[in-house]
Amino acid sequence: MKIKNIVILFVALALGLSASLYVFLQNGSAEKITRISSTHSQHPVSVDSTKCIAKKEFMHANHMQVLREWQQAPVTAGDRIYIAPNGSKFMKSLDTCLGCHKNNRLFCFNCHVYANVKPTCWNCHLSPSETP
Amino acid sequence: MMNEERRTFIKKTGLGVLACLGAASGLMTLIPETSLEKTVLPAWDEVTLPGNIRLGMLIDTRKCKKDCHLCITACHHAHNVPDFSHSKDKVTWIEKSTYKKVFPTASHQLQNKEITERSYLSLCNHCAESPCTRVCPTGATFQRWDGIVAIDYHRCIGCRVCMAACPYGSISFNWQDPRTAIHEPTTAYPTREQGVVEKCNFCSDRLVKNQLPACVEACPENVMTFGDLNDPRSDIRILLESNETVQRKPELGTKPSLFYII
Repeated sequence: MKIKNIVILFVALALGLSASLYVFLQNGSAEKITRISSTHSQHPVSVDSTKCIAKKEFMHANHMQVLREWQQAPVTAGDRIYIAPNGSKFMKSLDTCLGCHKNNRLFCFNCHVYANVKPTCWNCHLSPSETP
Repeated sequence: MMNEERRTFIKKTGLGVLACLGAASGLMTLIPETSLEKTVLPAWDEVTLPGNIRLGMLIDTRKCKKDCHLCITACHHAHNVPDFSHSKDKVTWIEKSTYKKVFPTASHQLQNKEITERSYLSLCNHCAESPCTRVCPTGATFQRWDGIVAIDYHRCIGCRVCMAACPYGSISFNWQDPRTAIHEPTTAYPTREQGVVEKCNFCSDRLVKNQLPACVEACPENVMTFGDLNDPRSDIRILLESNETVQRKPELGTKPSLFYII
């Protein structure tokens, strides 16, 4: 009888602890996009195109979502700096990507032509084939 | 017998729950709140609250030379503004006009000839109570945290309601494809497409690079002073205090951020 009671007591303790600490679970996740607004005149970030912001496979599948967020956050919220999970900072700008990817003039077009996708980016922005 | 067992069980679970509640509350107080927040580098966490900054410009029209168009060419080159020859297609971010056109509600009776013949720069006033941002149905025209009235060209549907709302005529519409009329394109700024409005953005693209607006930088006479109107120690506020200035159509209550020394 006594052992049974002790077991129940420990189970209750564990349940109670996990319930009370559940709220902090979110803080442990590392792969969240950190958003920090910077004032325009104090901390400028130059465009860094020396490395990719994420893995190739991730960008293959999600570049549209990344670009959509990068299109909106800097303009409306003044949220210009993207901090990658490994801590490196990037300017949320199409120029960050094109700074390196424009070296291949068909970079965007190869896939978009194959997939018959017609994004409207190049109505205003300069595409890799147009940049000198 | 049975009852007694149940009694002890309830007693012990009750004690257990109390113990873990106590432990949890102890843990909560032990962990300082700051350690649960995301780490931010101290230099980056200065988030500007809306209303704390109000960027504005002071134009000293006494110094402005009539035949000089350096500010206009610099601005239009820096932002790929198309140059359509036909006046109906005209797109401008900054232009020079007459006293009557820039200050139509000011008194023109027996006005000094020198003043009426001078040319006056007109650009977006970046009003604190901007009518264009109120009417925009998609939120494409909006007021930024630093007081700049900006247009998100991705969101603009080309309804031109902002053009009708603007009492200063500062907004232009792209009736034609602007790319056909850009003579010296720059790669530093995108173009616009046919069917969106555009106007001066107070060089928000240059401000993030710690540069002054293109027109301010291009002016050889230092006609324009750019700065924060909410900062009493800024150059613009010091000049505003020591000079007599006017705004365009102040009676409308739009609170323009552009001031003129006549």
